[in-house]
Amino acid sequence: MNELTNIRVPDPAPVQGKPRRVFKLSSINWPFLIVTVLLVAYGLLVVYSAVSANEDYSFTRQLAGVAVGAIAMALIWMFDYRRLSEYTTLFIVLNVVLILSPHVPGIGVNTMGATSWVKIGPLPQIQPGEFAKITVILLDASIMARYQGRLDDVREYCKAVCLMLIPFVCIMTQPDLGTGLVYLFIAAIALVVGGARLKHLLITLGICVALVTLVFLLDEAIKGSSGEYKLLKQYQRDRLLVFMNQDSADLTDEGYNLKQAKVAIGSGGLFGQGYMQGSQHSLGILPEAPTDFIFCVMAEELGFFGVMVLLGLYIALFVLGFRIASASSDMFGLLIVMCIVGMWLFQILENIGMTCGLMPITGIPLPFMSYGSSFMVVNFALLGFMGSVWSHGKDNSNRVTYAASN
Amino acid sequence: MAIAIIVAIVTFVVAAVAVAAFFVIRARRRDGGSYAGGHARGRDRVNSIDSTGILSTGRGSARDGEGRHSQTTSAPRSTTGRPSEAVRSRFIAVGVLAAAVFGSLTAKLWSMQVLGSREYESEAMLNKYSTIATPAPRGLVYDSDGVLLVNNKSTLTVLADASVADDHDVVQRLSAVLGIPYNIVRARILDQSSGAQSQRVVASDARQRDVAFIAEHSDAFTGVTVQQRTKREYPLGALAAHILGYTGPVSEEELANVPENRSIELGDTVGKSGIEAFYDNLLAGEHGQRRVIADSHGRVVEVESETPAKRGSDMYLTIKAPVQYVAETRLAELIAPDNVIGQGKGVGGAVVAMDVTDGSIIALASYPTFEPETFTGGIAQDVWDLYSTEESYYPLLNRAVSGTYPAASTYKAFTSLAGLKYGFANTTKTWECAGSWDGFNSGDWQNCWLLEGHGKINLNDGIRVSCDVVFYEIAKDFFYAGVTQGGDISDTAMQEEIAKFGFGKTTGIDLSGEEPGRIPTPEWKAQHWSDVPTEGQWRGGDLTNLVIGQGDVLITPLQNAVAYGAVATGKLMKPHVLKEVRNSTDTTPVTFTPEELGTPEVDEANYKILREALKLVSADSPEVTAEFAEWGIDAATVSSKTGTGEVAGKGDVAWYVCYYPQDKPKYVVSTCIEQGGGGALVAGPVGAAVMGAILANEKGELNEVKRVAGSSGKSVAVNFVNTARSD
Repeated sequence: MNELTNIRVPDPAPVQGKPRRVFKLSSINWPFLIVTVLLVAYGLLVVYSAVSANEDYSFTRQLAGVAVGAIAMALIWMFDYRRLSEYTTLFIVLNVVLILSPHVPGIGVNTMGATSWVKIGPLPQIQPGEFAKITVILLDASIMARYQGRLDDVREYCKAVCLMLIPFVCIMTQPDLGTGLVYLFIAAIALVVGGARLKHLLITLGICVALVTLVFLLDEAIKGSSGEYKLLKQYQRDRLLVFMNQDSADLTDEGYNLKQAKVAIGSGGLFGQGYMQGSQHSLGILPEAPTDFIFCVMAEELGFFGVMVLLGLYIALFVLGFRIASASSDMFGLLIVMCIVGMWLFQILENIGMTCGLMPITGIPLPFMSYGSSFMVVNFALLGFMGSVWSHGKDNSNRVTYAASN
Repeated sequence: MAIAIIVAIVTFVVAAVAVAAFFVIRARRRDGGSYAGGHARGRDRVNSIDSTGILSTGRGSARDGEGRHSQTTSAPRSTTGRPSEAVRSRFIAVGVLAAAVFGSLTAKLWSMQVLGSREYESEAMLNKYSTIATPAPRGLVYDSDGVLLVNNKSTLTVLADASVADDHDVVQRLSAVLGIPYNIVRARILDQSSGAQSQRVVASDARQRDVAFIAEHSDAFTGVTVQQRTKREYPLGALAAHILGYTGPVSEEELANVPENRSIELGDTVGKSGIEAFYDNLLAGEHGQRRVIADSHGRVVEVESETPAKRGSDMYLTIKAPVQYVAETRLAELIAPDNVIGQGKGVGGAVVAMDVTDGSIIALASYPTFEPETFTGGIAQDVWDLYSTEESYYPLLNRAVSGTYPAASTYKAFTSLAGLKYGFANTTKTWECAGSWDGFNSGDWQNCWLLEGHGKINLNDGIRVSCDVVFYEIAKDFFYAGVTQGGDISDTAMQEEIAKFGFGKTTGIDLSGEEPGRIPTPEWKAQHWSDVPTEGQWRGGDLTNLVIGQGDVLITPLQNAVAYGAVATGKLMKPHVLKEVRNSTDTTPVTFTPEELGTPEVDEANYKILREALKLVSADSPEVTAEFAEWGIDAATVSSKTGTGEVAGKGDVAWYVCYYPQDKPKYVVSTCIEQGGGGALVAGPVGAAVMGAILANEKGELNEVKRVAGSSGKSVAVNFVNTARSD
């Protein structure tokens, strides 16, 4: 078995007995870093064009986000993630505190009917729900890591599911369904990759579908005499209606947004209208261009070609993520990486999907592209964790291998 | 759309299958290689996970086996193998999911950006460019001799972008500079009636000083621009107001019914009444086009191209301003000496002067009147309210074409022609007037206006002194000759003769709102009283009322002018106010061609009898004679007919219709004073003055035109006395 391990993970430099503690240049995953740099640079390029037509956004702030993120990434990369594997309880507490923090009077900020923001003193306003994505990933990974890839026991499964639902329940008090769905998807990835039984997963999925149906039915049953819905907000219904009936989409604001998003993407054509030349966003016709609809800006200006470059970079990042995950020596690291990849995958699907009418509209940003420094820092932190898993996880496996061969 | 969905699904499936196949094959190959020779248990395990995890065909037994296997192998794996091996199938699942996501996104984007790109591109172009129509100045209006009646004044219009409404500071500054309250400035900016893309009018006639201030401090007035626009201006005030009409911003209703060859944009000025409405097409120019790139707030980012607006055609009217001025001032002096109705005689009046040879309207006045300039840019509510009250006697009503009154004795010209035609009257026949009459022996006595009676009287005198009994007798003959009464002529024989002169239908003058009036017939009466059939029966009294232009008879002053024109010449001319149209670029004017409405079939001999009688009327009235003398005209040379119509509960309607010269008639003047009293006394001098003015103008002696004021809208209770009729 030892030989086998050596064959699978060729280690060019024979490692001596001493464990590596110092961060060395050779411990940098160069392909990973290059893809990251390209993605971030591409994102900044598009954001620059998107914010140039809108005074409400500041490119400098986005750059600051990248800078802070890069530092966070480097620090986390050097940090050994394995030290976190036993702190499941801490993550639960952290999640609850973070996600519920906007409810604290004095620092919570209520915008557009959701208490999702926190403003402390002179610091820029932040969205704790975004930062909680990190702790949610760590929480879900640490829960599932204990089962070492096999979770057959129903009670254990239920316990894991319940623990993973805590952040979701918390975020729904804000409420922020979009971020909540991201948490759920992270949990789903953790369960699938963590080795939950297919039967359990299918039953859980069935329960979810039933619950959603129930929410709709219940909403219909308890709606006010004035036809006002209680559980689902009107804008959420509008979004669903628009999604299901896209051809008659002009009736609502959401429909108009979707239509203009599609026009922006479609008018990009094969090679786009040219950088900084997109009329849909520069004339302000495209809503929320720098944030949720940043993809449309890119699609409009850089065309199908530009879009494929972005998707190619994402795929490259994911392939590297898969490689890091499969090279990881422990379940915790593997799950962290897979949850990160899963989260991005979901956000990419939802964000790009909603702009082209494949998914209903929700406010989920596009990783590395959307304007917003909170999410930028979070993404960098997650990259840091991937790097940490790559450095320390592999390190561990080498050391164990070395130890075992002795 | 359907194709795009199919493409997406197919790509999704293909991608999913391809990725799954790739992972499965690679996994098998690796396992096969590494576990070569005797690691069958390990292989089994992997296969079984594959089959349960990916292909979802696992059965309970397979899973049991899998469970046992993993339990046995878990111990060594935790220390030596990497955990990814244990969850390889789950990796593949996530991989397939990722492939599916990217596959479907790629397919969808391919269909949108490559296959359907053209359609979206055109939509983006529609979003990008918008065409803004710039208003064209309307054409000018002159009188027959080139006196300017309607001018265009260039005004400085302060416009603001819609977004300015949210900028408290700018709105505050605009309010201070223009002297308009804050709330009104804001309301005007928020007003969307001129279209979402357009800038909103804050002030339509700003002072040069204020505009200069705004221009100098443009930084403090972001989103505010100043534009030069044109506005209707009326140098002579209310003169010919009812002919000219007024303009105003287009209404939603008008926008919904745009005539075929006219283009109207939101915010345009259109004609609302008079020739402004009737010839809106000619007066309105062609919009200029500005193709611009505008952002979602309607702000113009770039002007791509611009074609200038084309001014509308200029119009020359048949009106002679000096005559019109005389007509209007005489009406005003008579009815409201101090601009208060009720202080003079009557409450309203109209004069129509026409050239009988071609139907040209020389003057068409209606009192009370208004100043069209008050209505430019929309009618102010207070003015509208004022002019809508009963006390104002509705200055907006054009009494000359829309006011209907009993014809009274002016009708006798036409009923006498009818009597002559059917032999119920002739030059030798005489009647006996005792002052009252009951020819039907019904017990309902009808009076002649001269209660002491005219004695023995022939037709010529009957017309001259307007003896009612003569006409009662004629009506009686008509009544008994009717089919219903066992006679051999139509029951409506008299009405048919009257209708030949255009009564009961519109003349077709080129002004809006013309009323047809009414010639009562048995059929009309039955229909009118359909709810009370007993009242609807046609009686002899109806015909005796009709014959003297009373009862249910209604005519307009214009109809009377046209009809007396036919009495004078034998031809019914279509009245018109348009003389010619001159295009600003085109030098050759388009001249209006006179149109004949018809030639009434009347014996020349009968005309002669009537005309002889009409020659004597004017000279009979001292007031008319005096007025004609003022203008140097002998009243005996003017043919005319007076009339005093009785209206239940109101003062009498005074009529005076005349034409001149007698041998070769050229002009006809029809005058009507509402609740004025006696025809010769009240309407006569006004009509005589207008006829005098026409002749003086023709000779070049009368050219004076001054500004005319609109009505104040005020009135005092009219102290009308129904003095004994004098016609």
